Amino acid sequence: MNKEVTVYEPNQRLKIGFFETWVIMFKNIVKSKELIIQLFKRDFFMSYKKSYLGLAWILISPLVGIVSWVFLNSAGILQPGDTPIPFPAYVLLGSSIWGLFMGFYGSAGGTLGAGAGFINQVKYPHEALLIKQTAQHIANFLITFVVNIIVLLLFGVTPSLGILLFPLTAIPLFFLGAGLGLIVSVLSVVASDLTNVINIIMGFVFYAIPIVYQIDKIENPLLQTVVQINPLTYLVTGARDIIVEGTIHYPERYLLVAAISFVFFMLSWRLFYVSEDKVIERMI
Amino acid sequence: MDKDVVIKIDNVSKKFTRSIKRSMFYGSTDIFKSMFGIKPDTTKLRKGEFWSLNDVSFELKQGEGLAIIGHNGSGKSTLLRLINGIFPPDEGSIRVKGKIGALIAVGAGFHPHMTGRENIYLSGTILGMSRNEIKNIFDEIIDFADIGDFIDAPVSTYSSGMSIRLGFSIAIHSRPDILLADEVLAVGDLAFALKCHKKISDFRKNGGTLILVSHSMNQVRNACEHALWLDKGMIKESGPVNEVCDKFENFMFKKDSDDKSSSSVGTHITNDSNTIITRVEFFNDKDEQTTAFDSGSFFKARIFYKCNRSVKSPIFTFGIANVENVSVVASYSNYTLDLSDTEISGEGYIEVIIPNLYLRAGNYRCTTTLAEGDVETVLDWHEKNFLFTINANKKLTHGIAQIPVEWKI
Repeated sequence: MNKEVTVYEPNQRLKIGFFETWVIMFKNIVKSKELIIQLFKRDFFMSYKKSYLGLAWILISPLVGIVSWVFLNSAGILQPGDTPIPFPAYVLLGSSIWGLFMGFYGSAGGTLGAGAGFINQVKYPHEALLIKQTAQHIANFLITFVVNIIVLLLFGVTPSLGILLFPLTAIPLFFLGAGLGLIVSVLSVVASDLTNVINIIMGFVFYAIPIVYQIDKIENPLLQTVVQINPLTYLVTGARDIIVEGTIHYPERYLLVAAISFVFFMLSWRLFYVSEDKVIERMI
Repeated sequence: MDKDVVIKIDNVSKKFTRSIKRSMFYGSTDIFKSMFGIKPDTTKLRKGEFWSLNDVSFELKQGEGLAIIGHNGSGKSTLLRLINGIFPPDEGSIRVKGKIGALIAVGAGFHPHMTGRENIYLSGTILGMSRNEIKNIFDEIIDFADIGDFIDAPVSTYSSGMSIRLGFSIAIHSRPDILLADEVLAVGDLAFALKCHKKISDFRKNGGTLILVSHSMNQVRNACEHALWLDKGMIKESGPVNEVCDKFENFMFKKDSDDKSSSSVGTHITNDSNTIITRVEFFNDKDEQTTAFDSGSFFKARIFYKCNRSVKSPIFTFGIANVENVSVVASYSNYTLDLSDTEISGEGYIEVIIPNLYLRAGNYRCTTTLAEGDVETVLDWHEKNFLFTINANKKLTHGIAQIPVEWKI
C-alpha cells in the first residue's frame, strides 16, 4: 500500500519557506478546481433562487444606479469639467472601478467566512474559497460593467480602444484588494472590530482618490499630498483613464504601485496560509 | 512509520480556552507572532487555557477498529478533528496514511435551495471526490439514501432524517481509507441504522480502518476491537474493547456511588411525606443480604416502606436499568398481586423475586415507587436509587441480557 502520509505538527506551516508556500497554495487551487466550480454554482445561482426575477436582479441594480447618475447629470449637480467625456460618465466609471477594488477586498475578506458552515468539519484547501469568492465578484462586476458601458454608448459616450486593456489594469487592483482582504479574513476571526475599522477607513480612502473630482483641481495642499501618496489613486485612475483616453497618466508611478501590490499580495497570501491554522479552532 | 500502521499519534496535546475574549486575544497574539516568523510557544498553558488533550499516543494498523470512549468534554471530538487535520496539535505529531473520510460532517455544505441531486455533487466535491468519481457512484448514493422522489426536491423540504440519510450516504461512499465517525451511528430509524452498520462492516472487511466515538458501549463493543478511554484529555485505559469498556462502566458506576451515599445514587421524590419507601435490600438464594449476584442466579429485592397513614390499594413498582440507562426489567405489583382491597400502614416490606436474573455482567440501578389506587398516583419515588452488580463472567454474549441460549444442528 503506497498511500501518501500526511503529518500534522505544531507550527508546521511556519516551517515552510515563502516560495514553497506559494507553490503549495497554487497547487491547491489547481487541485480544487471542481470544488471552486461547485461552490461558485451554489453561491452565485442559489442567491437568486428565492426571487421571482431571479438573475435579472444582476441587471436591475446597475440600471437603477445609472438612473441616479443620469438624474444628477441633468440636474447639473455634478459640475461638468474639462474631462474627455461628460463628467457624470467619468464619475460613474471611476466609482465602478472603485467598486471592483472594494469587491476584491470584500470577497477576499470573506474567504474564511464563506466556508464557515463546514470549515470546522471537513479538511480542504481554503485557498479555493478565495478564488470562488473572487470569481463570484468578477461575474457580478462584469455584468454591471457591461451594462454601464452600454448605457454610456447610448448617451453618446464612446470609450477608447484602451478598454481592451482594462482587464490588465484590474490585476493590480485584485492584488491590493485581495492582499488586504486576506489579512482581514484571518484577523476578523479573532478581532471582528478590525473589519469595522477598515470599513470606516475605506470610506475615507474613497475620497482620497480622484473619482468624484479631478486630480489637478485640488487646491488644498494637504489633500493634494494625501491623494498623491495614495496608491489607489494610481490604480483606480489608471484603469479609468485607459478606458476613457487609452493612456495612463502616471505610467511610472502606476507600474511601481502595481509591483508593490503584487509583492504585498504574495506576502499577505503567505500570512494567510500560516495564520489560518491558528484561527480555525477559534471559529465558533 | 511501520508498513501496516495507518495512524500514528505521538504525544499529542491540544489546548483550548474557555473564555471567548481570551481565545480571541491569544489568537491575535499568535497571528502577530507568525507575521514576524516567530513560532508561538505552544507547549505552555497561558492563563485561562486548559489541555483538551494531554500527551495522547497510540497507533492504529490498517483494518483495525478503534473506539474512543469517555465522558463529555474528555477530548474525543478534539482528537477526531486533529486526526482529520481541521486544526493542528499544540504538541506532538500526527501521521496519517491514506484518505480520511469523516462522518463528523454529515451533510457538509448542503445548500437548502439545491435539490438532493445537486447537493450530492456539491457535498461530494467538498469531501474530496472528483466529478467522475461522484458520477460513478451516484446511483449507489441515491439507492443507499433511499429517499425516493425527494432526491429531486430542494433539501430544505427534507425531514431531518432524510437529510441525514443523504449526507451519510455521500460520506460513506466517498471511499476513504480511514473512517472517522462521531456518534453518527445513532441517527435515523432502525432500518437505516442497520444499513449503516452493514456498510461500515463491509468497509472494515475491505481493509478499511475505523475510529468511532460513541457513548453507547453496546455499539462500541460490536463495531471495534480496540478501545481508548479518554479522561480529561488523557488516556486512562487502552486495550481490547471489552476490557476497556468494562473498566469504563465500572468507573461510571463507582463514580455515581461515590458522588452520593453508597446506597443511594439516583433521585428521591416524595409526594406525600407520610408514606415513603425507606430502603431496598437485595438477597441471594441463601437469603443472605448482598449487592453482588451471578448471572442467572436467584434474586430478591425487599422494598421497605414506612406509612404514617394507611394507604388503600397500594401498588409498588420495581425496575432495573443498566449503566446506559436502558430499562431491562420493569414490573408493577398489580401484575401478579391483587392489593386492591388491601390497606398498608406502619412499617413493613414487600418482596420482588426474580428466580433467574439473566443479566450480563455489569452494574445496575433499581427504581421503585409506591402508588395509591392507580400507578399514576405516586406517593414516593426512588429513581435509579439502589445499586447491585452482576459479577464478571467468561460467558460471551452481546445484548443487554445474558439469557441462556443453546444451538443445535
